[in-house]
Amino acid sequence: MSSTPLARLEGAHKRFGKIAALDGLNLAANRGELLALLGPNGAGKSTAISLLLGLQQPDKGSAALFGEDPQSIDARRRIGVMMQEINLPAVMRPRELIGQTASYYPRPYETQAVIKRLGIEKIADRPYGKLSGGQKRQAQFAMAICGRPELLFLDEPTVGLDVQAREALWQVLRDLIHEGCSIILTTHYLEEAEALADRVAVVTHGRLVAGGTVDEIRAHVSRKSILCRSSLAMETMRAWPEVQQVTEESGRRHIVTRDAETVLRLLLAADTEVRDIEVRRAGLAEAFAEITANNPESLQ
Amino acid sequence: MNTAYSQMNRARVLAAYLGDIRFELVKMIRTPAFAIPTLLFPILFFMLFGVLMGSARGNAQMSLFAFASYGVFGAIAPGLFGFGVSLAFEREQGLLVFRQAIPMPAGSYLLARMVMAMIFVAVGSLAMIALALFVAHVPLTFGQCVTVFFVNVLGVLPFCAMGLFVGSLVSGQAAPAIVNLIYIPMSFLSGLWVPMQFLPKAVQQLAPLWPAHHLVQLSLAAVDAPSTVGSTGNHIGALVGVTVLFFALAVRRLGGRGIRLFSAPRGGYVFLLRRAINVGMFWIAVGLVIAGVMGGNAPRAAGRTAATSNDAAKSVPDASGSAAHVGVAAPDKPVIADFDNGNANASYGLGFSASDDKMRGGDSSAAQQLVDGGAGKSRGALEVSGAVGTGIQYPFAGTSFLPNGTPNAEWTKQGLMDYSRKQTLRFFARGDGKDYLVMMMGPAVDTIPAMFGFTAGAEWQEVRVPLQSLGGIDLKQVKLISIGTMTPGAFRFQIDDVRVE
Repeated sequence: MSSTPLARLEGAHKRFGKIAALDGLNLAANRGELLALLGPNGAGKSTAISLLLGLQQPDKGSAALFGEDPQSIDARRRIGVMMQEINLPAVMRPRELIGQTASYYPRPYETQAVIKRLGIEKIADRPYGKLSGGQKRQAQFAMAICGRPELLFLDEPTVGLDVQAREALWQVLRDLIHEGCSIILTTHYLEEAEALADRVAVVTHGRLVAGGTVDEIRAHVSRKSILCRSSLAMETMRAWPEVQQVTEESGRRHIVTRDAETVLRLLLAADTEVRDIEVRRAGLAEAFAEITANNPESLQ
Repeated sequence: MNTAYSQMNRARVLAAYLGDIRFELVKMIRTPAFAIPTLLFPILFFMLFGVLMGSARGNAQMSLFAFASYGVFGAIAPGLFGFGVSLAFEREQGLLVFRQAIPMPAGSYLLARMVMAMIFVAVGSLAMIALALFVAHVPLTFGQCVTVFFVNVLGVLPFCAMGLFVGSLVSGQAAPAIVNLIYIPMSFLSGLWVPMQFLPKAVQQLAPLWPAHHLVQLSLAAVDAPSTVGSTGNHIGALVGVTVLFFALAVRRLGGRGIRLFSAPRGGYVFLLRRAINVGMFWIAVGLVIAGVMGGNAPRAAGRTAATSNDAAKSVPDASGSAAHVGVAAPDKPVIADFDNGNANASYGLGFSASDDKMRGGDSSAAQQLVDGGAGKSRGALEVSGAVGTGIQYPFAGTSFLPNGTPNAEWTKQGLMDYSRKQTLRFFARGDGKDYLVMMMGPAVDTIPAMFGFTAGAEWQEVRVPLQSLGGIDLKQVKLISIGTMTPGAFRFQIDDVRVE
C-alpha cells in the first residue's frame, strides 16, 4: 500500500449561504482500500465527494486527487464515478452509454467484458429510459468501472437493488479491491459498510467524528447486545439501571447495555427459564447511533 | 506521479470527440419529436410556399425568396431547440454535472452538439437545394447553392449560442415554450415567412434586432434576390457578435450554477490571461452586435438599396448557357428608378447608363446627368443629351437599362428578365420636342428590337408602353430597355419615375 493518499481533503470548509456543509473536514483515501463515508442526511458526505471530484471548490482548505487539482483531466482519467440522482439520456442504451464513457479513458475494459462481468446482458440493449430503478443503477455502475479506474467514487450504489443484485455488486466491489482498485463509498446501509469497508469515516455536521477500521469503530463503542428468549416482562428489564434499551424481534429479546456482565447476572437471577442467550459486540449500527448521539448537533 | 497512466494518445482523444458527436446524433435521431419537425418543416414550407404556390403563379422570384428564407428557417431550430431545450433538460437531470466528474475531453459536449446541429442543417439544406434545382427549377448556379449551403450551416451557430443561453437559464419544462416564443416571432419579424418589403415599416426598422434577419439577408444576397438591405460585412459582424455574446453569457450563467463547459485551470497567470481574453471578447461581441443592429437597416433608403442590389446582382443565369431561356421573374415592386438620390441606379439590375452606337461602328454620342426637379414634385430626374450621327444605318443614342445585368460583363453574358406578367412600362419624359423611342431587346442581337415612340415636349408627360401588345419581343426574355432617339442631330431629354407594373 502506498502512503500517498489517492484522494485527500485537508481542513475543507464549504458554506452554502448560512449553512456550513463542511467545517474543516479531513479525509484521505488510501490505495487498495474501501473507505465508507457514513453520516446522517445533510452531514456533508455529498459535499465532500463533490470537492474530491472537483465539482465544487472548498472555501478554505484543499482537495486533491492523486496529488493534483481534482479538476485536472489527468486526475479524472484515473477515477470512476457513480452519482446519485442523475438521469442519463432515455433513448440511449446501456451498451452505448458504457462505450461512450469508456472512450474517455486511456485503458478501459471492453464494453462487452463489463456487461458480462456485471451480468447485465439482458438490459444492455434496452433504452435506458425503459429500465427499472435498480437496472439503471447497474448501468451506472458499469459506466463507473468501465474505465479501469484506480479510484472509484460510489454514491449510494445499491439503492434500489434487490438483495441478489446487491450481493452480486458487493462481490464485484470485493474483486475490484482485490485487483488493486480503491473505493470511496457513501451509503446509508450500515451492513454495506460492515460487509465491505476497510475503513469507515463517520461525518456529522461537516466534521469527521470517528474514523478507523470497522473493528476500531466498534471498539469505540462499549455497548453490547444480549439476545435471549425470556418470559420476563420488558418493563422489568428496562427498570434495571444498566439496561439502555429493550426490544423484541420475532420472539427474541434484544437488550442493549454497556455492562453486559451485570445484566447477565440480573437476567439469570430473575428468569431461571431464560434460553438461547447470545452476547454480541456492537455492530456498526449501534456504533453509529452512539457516535452520532454523542454529537447532539447532528441530530438536528 | 503515475502520469503515464492517465495519458491518452491523440488518436484516442480524437476518437472520444468523434464518439461524442456520433452519440449526440444517434440521440437526436432517436428523438423524433425533435428530428422530424426540425428537418421536415422548413422543407414542407418551402414545397408549399416556394414550389407549389410559386410555380402555380409562374413566379420564379417567389421560389427564390422561399428557397433562401426557408433555408434560414431550417437553420434556426436545430440551434435553438438542440441547445435550448435539450440542455435545460440535461442540466436539470444532473447530466452536465456528471459529465464534468468523468474525464470527458474539454468542450466535447458543446462541440458534439454544435456539430450535430450543423449536420442537421446540412442535411436539410442539401434536401432543399435538391428540391429547388430538380423539382422547383429555381434558377440557381452551382456557386449560389454552395454559398447558401454554407450560410445555413454556419448560420446555425448564433442560434446554438442563443439556445445555450436559454438552456442555462430556464427549467426543462419551461424551455420549449420559451424557445418557441423566440423562434416563431423572430422568424416572422425577420421576414422569413413574408418578404421584408411587405411588412409594416416599424417591423422593417426593427428587423436588425433579430439575428435571423441578418442571416436571411446574407442568404438572399447569395441568390441575388432583389431588395436586400445592409452590407455583407455588417450582417456577418452582427451574427458573430450575437454568437460570442450569448455564448459568453451562457458560460457565465452555467459557471454560476457550478457547471464548466471547458475544464479551466484555476489561478495564476494563465487564468488571468484567459479572463482578460474573455472580457475583451465579450465587449468586442457587444460592439459587433450594436454595429450590426445600427447598420443592419441603414441602407433602407432607396439609393443604398439599389446600390446593394447592384453589388449583389452577380450572375443570374445568362441566356446563352441556360437551358430554360427564361429570365428571372421581375420583382413585384414596380419602381425601377426615380433618380431622387443623386444617382441613376435602379431597384434591380444595372442602372441607367448613357449609350450610343459606337460599338456597332456608328458615330453617335450620348451623355447623361442627374438634374434637380423631376416630374411632379420629385427631387431629381435623369437628363440625357448628345447627338445622333449618320455613320451607320440604324444610329441610336440615349440611355439603357439592363434589368438583369452584370457590371463589366459581355453582352452575351447579361441576364434576362421575365416581364411576361407585367402590363405597362411607364415613365415621365420631357425634352426638346423631338421624337424619341423606347426599345426593348431580347437575347438575339440581329433582330429588330421592339419599339415604342413618343415625343418629349417642354412639360413633363407620362409615357405608357403597353407591354403585352408591344410585339417584336418575348417578354420572358428581356435583356435591355433603352430610351433615346434615332433621329440624326442634337437632342436633349429628361426622364423620371420609371416603373414596370
